[in-house]
Amino acid sequence: MRKVFIIAIKEFLATAATKGFIFGMLFPPIILGAIITIMPLLMNKKPPAVFGHVAVIDRSGAVAPRLVEAFAPEAVENRRKERTAKVREAIDQGAKSAGLDPDTTKAISGELDKSLKAAEELAPVTSLRVVVLPPETGEEEAKEEIRKAGKRNEAPPVGAADPGPGPRLALIVIPDQAVRGSDAAQPGARFGEYQLLTAPRLDVEVQSDLRSQANRAIVDARLALAGENVAQIRELMQSPAAKETTVTADGTASINEVTKLIVPAAFMFLLWISVFSSGQYLLMSTIEEKSSRVMEVILSAVSPMQLMCGKIIGKGAVGVLILALYSGVGITALIFFAVAELVPWQNLVYLGVYFALAYAVIACFMAAVGAAVNDINEAQTLMGPIMLILVIPMMLWLPILRNPNSTFAEVCSFVPMINPFVMVLRLCGSEPIPFWQVPASIAVGMATVLFMAWASAKIFRIGVLMYGKPPNFATLVRWVRMA
Amino acid sequence: MPDAIAIKGVRKTFGTKVAVENLDLVVPEGSLCGFIGPNGAGKTTTIRLIMSILFPDSGELRVLGKASAIESKDRIGYLPEERGIYKKMRVGEFLRYIARLKGIDAAPADAKVRQWLTRVGLEETYRKKCEELSKGMQQKVQFISAVIHEPDLLILDEVFTGLDPVNRRLMRELISEQRRAGRTIIFSTHAMREAEELCDHLFMINNGIKVLDLPMSEVWRRYDPRTITVEPIAGGPSLREVSEAWGRIPDVLRVVMGPGAEPGTCDLMLRDDADPAGVMRAVAASITPRRLELRRASLEDIFISIVGISADELERQNSSQGQEVARA
Repeated sequence: MRKVFIIAIKEFLATAATKGFIFGMLFPPIILGAIITIMPLLMNKKPPAVFGHVAVIDRSGAVAPRLVEAFAPEAVENRRKERTAKVREAIDQGAKSAGLDPDTTKAISGELDKSLKAAEELAPVTSLRVVVLPPETGEEEAKEEIRKAGKRNEAPPVGAADPGPGPRLALIVIPDQAVRGSDAAQPGARFGEYQLLTAPRLDVEVQSDLRSQANRAIVDARLALAGENVAQIRELMQSPAAKETTVTADGTASINEVTKLIVPAAFMFLLWISVFSSGQYLLMSTIEEKSSRVMEVILSAVSPMQLMCGKIIGKGAVGVLILALYSGVGITALIFFAVAELVPWQNLVYLGVYFALAYAVIACFMAAVGAAVNDINEAQTLMGPIMLILVIPMMLWLPILRNPNSTFAEVCSFVPMINPFVMVLRLCGSEPIPFWQVPASIAVGMATVLFMAWASAKIFRIGVLMYGKPPNFATLVRWVRMA
Repeated sequence: MPDAIAIKGVRKTFGTKVAVENLDLVVPEGSLCGFIGPNGAGKTTTIRLIMSILFPDSGELRVLGKASAIESKDRIGYLPEERGIYKKMRVGEFLRYIARLKGIDAAPADAKVRQWLTRVGLEETYRKKCEELSKGMQQKVQFISAVIHEPDLLILDEVFTGLDPVNRRLMRELISEQRRAGRTIIFSTHAMREAEELCDHLFMINNGIKVLDLPMSEVWRRYDPRTITVEPIAGGPSLREVSEAWGRIPDVLRVVMGPGAEPGTCDLMLRDDADPAGVMRAVAASITPRRLELRRASLEDIFISIVGISADELERQNSSQGQEVARA
C-alpha cells in the first residue's frame, strides 16, 4: 500500500504541480473572481458630463413642444426614477419566483439598491437643452453647428448663472410626413422617417434617450392629431406582468425555469469536466510511461496492479481538486449573491458519491486503453465507441431535465458508465425522483466499477509490455479472457 | 552456497511462438553470470520471467528463496534492455522516486541519490531534467536506479549497449564493485569482451533453448586452444611458400590465410587430439617467426561456433532492430 501511495503522490504532483495545469485550471476561476471584484472598481470612473443642446427642426409643428418637455430637467429625473423602479421590480419578481425566502429577498434588495445607486452615479450627467430651430432652417446649415461643436465632453462654464445652450450635440429633423403621413385624407398611411444626426462619439446612453424620446414625441403627436387621448392610450398600452407558479405534489411553489435548468446542468457539466480531465491525464501519463519505456523500470519495483492503483488514485486526486476548485468557486459566488439555498447540501453529497463512481469507471477504462496502445492516435480509435456512449448525458441533458421521471431518464439512470451523470442531473433538478432509484443506481455504479477494475487490471498487466501492432477491441477481450 | 535463482523446466509461449523451452538454470549467490545469445533467443523473456514481469506457462522458478520476484522486489535491482526515463522529471527527483519505490525512506533516499551521482560523475545533473542528459549520462542514471537500494540480486539487460569506451570501462568498474559487495549479478550482453572479463559463469540460450551453462573456467577448458597464429619475419620465405609444408604436418587440420586471418599472418587450425607444442616446434624449424602464438579461443569464437553468427552481425541486428514485440 505504501508503494501505491508513493505512485499516487507522484502522479498527483506530476499533473497538479505543472504550470500547464495551474494555468488551465486555476486561471478561469481567478479571472471570474477578478471580473466580479475588480471590474466594478476599474469601471468606477464617472463618465464625463454631457453638456450641450439638441436642435430640432420640426416641419410638422406638432413634435417640438413635446421634445422640449421631454428634456426638461424634471422629466429627465422622472425617467431615471422610473427605470430604477422597473429594475427593482424585475429583480424582486425573479427572487420570489426562484423560491427565496423573504429575508434573502430583502438582502438581495439591499444589494440591489447599492448597485442601482452605483449605476446612477456611473450614468453620464446629462445637461441637454432642446433648441427649436425655425422649420425653414436648412439641414446643412444646422449640421455645420455640430461640426463646430468639437469635443462632446465640453463642460459648462463654472459659476455662470445661465451656461447657455452649449455646443450642438445632435440635430433632429422631423418632416411633416413623419407625423401626418403621405396622404392627408388617410391619417397614418405611409409615415415618413425622421433624421437623427449626432456628433461623433456622443454617449450611447444619450443617443438612445434621444431616439426613444423622439419616437415617443412623434407617436404622441400622431395620436393627438387623430383626436385621441394620448395619456389614456399610453396607460392602456402598458404590458401586463405574469405571476408564474408551479403546482407540485406539496402544494404550489414559485420556481424559476432558469433555476430548474441551470443548477442541475452546472452540476452535471462539473462532474463531466472533472471526471474526463482527470481521466485524460491518466490516459496520457500511461501512454507516456509506456512509450518512453519507463514502465518496465517501474514494474521492477511494483506489481502492475500496484502501479495501476497508484496512477488511478493520483489522477483521481487531480479530479477531486478540479471538482473542489470549481464547485468551491460556484458556491462562493452563490453565497456572495445570497442565493446559496439554490444548492442544497444533499446535492453536494450526491456529487461526491457519483464523482467517485464515474471517475473509477472512466479511470479503469483509460488505464486499460493507455496500457494497450503505443500512442494517443491508437487510443482515440479504441476510445471512440465508448465516448459515443459517454456523450449521451451531454447531448440529452435538456430532455432528461425537462422530464426527469420519464422512462428514458429512468433507463439511463441504470445504464453502466452514464448513470452517474444522469443521476446527478435528475437529483439536482426540481422534480423529486423515487428514492429507491438512488441506492439502486449506486449499486449499478459499484458493480460497473468492480467489473471495469477486474477487466482493466488484466488488460493493463498484459498491455504495458506489449509493443507493435495496436490492439483492437477483440484483442482486448482476448487479453481479459487469457490473463 | 544457496541459489539466488533456481529455474526448473520453465516454458513460456506467446501464441504459437515458443520463447523459452524447458529451461533449467541455477545461479548461485554471489556469482556473476553472463547471459548471452543472439537476438530473439529468449534472453529478455527469461529475465522478465525472473523479474515476475511475465509468468511461465509451466515449470518452477524461485528467486532469492521466494516463489516469485514480487515477494522480494526490494531486494532485486533491474536494468531493463528497453531503458526508460521520465524525460520531464529532474534527475534527482527521478532517482528519489525509484529509491522510494524500492523501499528506501525519503531522507536516506536523497542522500543516496547525491552520493551515487557523485560516484558516476553526474553530481551537477541533480536538478537537470532527464531529457537534458546525453544518452551515456542517461544510462548511468538508469544504472543508479537499479543499484541505489543495494539489492542482493542485480539483473542487467544489455548494460553495455550504447556506451563509449570510457563509460564502458566505468560500467565494468561499477559492476565489479557490486560484485565485490557480495551481490549476485546476471547480465545479458552482446559485448563478448566484457563478458569474458567479468563473468565467472556463462549461460547461453538460442531459440529459447539453453545451449551452454558452464563456469568460465570450464568454458576455457572445454574450448581448448585449437589455433596457432604465425607471422614470419620480413625477408624470409613467403607465407604461401611455407604454408603448403605446414598443411602436411599431421596435427594440422587446415591452414587459413587471407580472409579469416590477420593481414601478414596465417592461422593453423589443429585437430582435436593435436599436440600444439609439437606443431609449434615444427613451424619454428621451417621459418624464423616474428610471432608464433597459441591462440586462446575468444568468447566470440565460442559464440559463433555454437550459434553460427558473428558478434558484429549481432550488433548490426541489434541496431537495425525496429519495433520489438515484447509480449507480456
